[in-house]
Amino acid sequence: MKKLYYDVKKCLGCKSCEIACAVAHSQNKDLFKALKEEMLSLPRKKIHRSGDKNFPNSCRHCQEHPCVDACMAGALVYDQESNMVLHDEARCVGCWMCVMVCPYGSIRPNLKSKIPIRCDKCKDEDEPACVRACPTGAIIWKEADEENLLSSNKTE
Amino acid sequence: MKNFVIIGNSAAGISAAEAIRQKDKKSKITIISEEDYHSYCRCLISYFLAGEIPEEKLVFRPEDFYKENNLNLILNKKVVKVEPKKNIIKFEDKTSLGYDMLLIATGASSKFPPDLKGLKKKGVFGLRTIRDAKEILNLVPSSSSSCILGGGLVSLKAAYGLLKRGQELKIIVKSKFVLSQMLDEKGAGLFMKKFQEAGVEIMTARDIVEILGNGDLKAVRLDSGKVIACSILVVGKGVNPNTDLIKDTQLNLDKGILVDQYMKSSIPNIFAAGDVAQTFDLVYKNSVVNALWPNAIEQGRISGLNMIGENLKYDGSMTMNSIGFFDLPAISMGITRPKNPELEELVLFDEKRNICKKFVLDKNHLVGMIAIGDISNCGVFLRLIKEGTDITSIKNELVSETFSYAKVLDLVKHKDEVFIL
Repeated sequence: MKKLYYDVKKCLGCKSCEIACAVAHSQNKDLFKALKEEMLSLPRKKIHRSGDKNFPNSCRHCQEHPCVDACMAGALVYDQESNMVLHDEARCVGCWMCVMVCPYGSIRPNLKSKIPIRCDKCKDEDEPACVRACPTGAIIWKEADEENLLSSNKTE
Repeated sequence: MKNFVIIGNSAAGISAAEAIRQKDKKSKITIISEEDYHSYCRCLISYFLAGEIPEEKLVFRPEDFYKENNLNLILNKKVVKVEPKKNIIKFEDKTSLGYDMLLIATGASSKFPPDLKGLKKKGVFGLRTIRDAKEILNLVPSSSSSCILGGGLVSLKAAYGLLKRGQELKIIVKSKFVLSQMLDEKGAGLFMKKFQEAGVEIMTARDIVEILGNGDLKAVRLDSGKVIACSILVVGKGVNPNTDLIKDTQLNLDKGILVDQYMKSSIPNIFAAGDVAQTFDLVYKNSVVNALWPNAIEQGRISGLNMIGENLKYDGSMTMNSIGFFDLPAISMGITRPKNPELEELVLFDEKRNICKKFVLDKNHLVGMIAIGDISNCGVFLRLIKEGTDITSIKNELVSETFSYAKVLDLVKHKDEVFIL
C-alpha cells in the first residue's frame, strides 16, 4: 500500500499540488476548462502554513477512522483490501459528521455540492496528481512499510 | 462458542455485532429489534421527511449484511424484561431467549410532556422512527398547517422537512431561542432568521398547554391563551433512554444504564451502549447520556470487543453535533454556553457573512466551541478538547481563518508520521 509523505523542508508552498489536484478531479481534466465547470472542482489537498514552514494536508486514510464511524449514511467505508477510506457520493447526505471528527482537519466541506472533499489518492491513476505536480519533490509516494526509514530521517 | 444477544438494531447494536464477528467467526450472534426494518439510520429520517432522500437510503448497511456476517436477526419482537439471574430475556409475546453475553442497545424514545392533554389525538407525533415519518407524510396531503413543539435539533429538522413538504409552519419553543442545547443566543439567531425568512413563525418563550380536537388534532392552545389551528403537531422535547426492560433487576440505572469504563453494566455479562447507556463525559467530567451517532458506534464497538474477552477502555463520550439548514452549517461540541464565569470566551461574529465562531476556554484548555458558516477544522478542535491540549501558544489563532492542523502539530499527542521535518 502506497501512502503520501511530505518533506516539509522542500515544500515551497507554491500550491502546484492544489491546482493539479483540483484539475485531476474536474470533469474535463484541463485547467482552463475546469475553471468554467458549473461545480468548480476544489483541491483535496491544502497547503497550510505554520511559522516559516508549509504543510500539505490531505486525508491519511487512517486505519482507525473516526470519519467512517461518524458517517451515519454509510457513505464512508474503510476498504480492507486497498486500505483506503472510500466515499460513496450517492449515499452522502452532507451532514458533515466526518468534518466534525477528522483529527487532521483533512476533510473539507464543499458547501455547494454538499459533498465532503477528501483525497482519494487518485486511485485510478498510477500515482496521485499532486506527486507529479510538485516541482521540488516534497511530496513522496511510497510504500507504507518504509515508514520506519522515513521516521528515522525525522530525528536527524 | 458463545451465545451473544444484542437488543437493538441501530448504531450501537450493529457496530457491536461487527466488532464481535470480526474476531469471532463461530459464535452465535442474535440481533433483536422491535421494529420491522433493516438497519436504518434515525438521524436520516428528517432527510426522508423532507423528500431529500428515498427510503432505501435510510439503510446504512448493505442488503446482505446480516447474511454475510452470519447474524441471526429477529425483527418485530419487543423485549420487555431482562432476567439476569436466569440469563434470559423475555419478549412481549411471552416467549424467551437465553444468552451468555447480552448487549442492551435499545436506544431511546421520543419524550412527550407528561402533563400535556390530548397527546393521543391523531396528528400528534414524535420524530424518531421511520414509522413516525411515514405517518406524518400520510397526513401531509390533507394538512396545510403544522406546529412544532420544542426548538431543539429534532424540532428544527421536522420543521425543515415539513416546510419542504409545503406546510405552513409555527415553532413553539419555551426558551428565548432555538437550539439552546447546541448554540448560544447569537448563533441560534442566525438560524432563526433563516427559518423566519422562509416563512416559519417562531414563537419563543411559549408553550402548548392543550391539544384540541375530537380524535383528530384540530388546534393547539398556547399558554398565552392563543389557539393555533393545525393538523400535524411534532413534539421535539428530547428523548428518554429505553430502560423499561431492566426495571426490577439489579442493573444500576440512573437516566440511562450505568456502565463502567469497559461499557459493562453492574452485571458482568451484560453490557450497554448507545443512547441507552450513561457514560463519562470528557468535558463535564460527570456521568451522562450523550445520545449521538458517533458515540453509539464507538461504544458499540468497544462493548462488542469486551464481550469477547478483550479489555478495551472507553475514554468517554462528548456532547457534540453537526447540523445544517438552508445551506447554513453548524457544528458545536462541549461547553457552548458557560455558566462558570471563570471560563473564557473567544468570539468572532460576522452577521453579514453568517459566520460565528466561539471558543470556550478553561484556563489553557479548550472545553467547547461553536462554528457556524465556516465549519472547517472542527475535528482538530475536537481533538484539542479530547486530548486536553495546552493551547496557550495558539490561543490567538483559534478564531482566525488561517487556523489549521499545522498550527497544532507540535501540541497534539502522537507525532504525525506523514511529515518529514
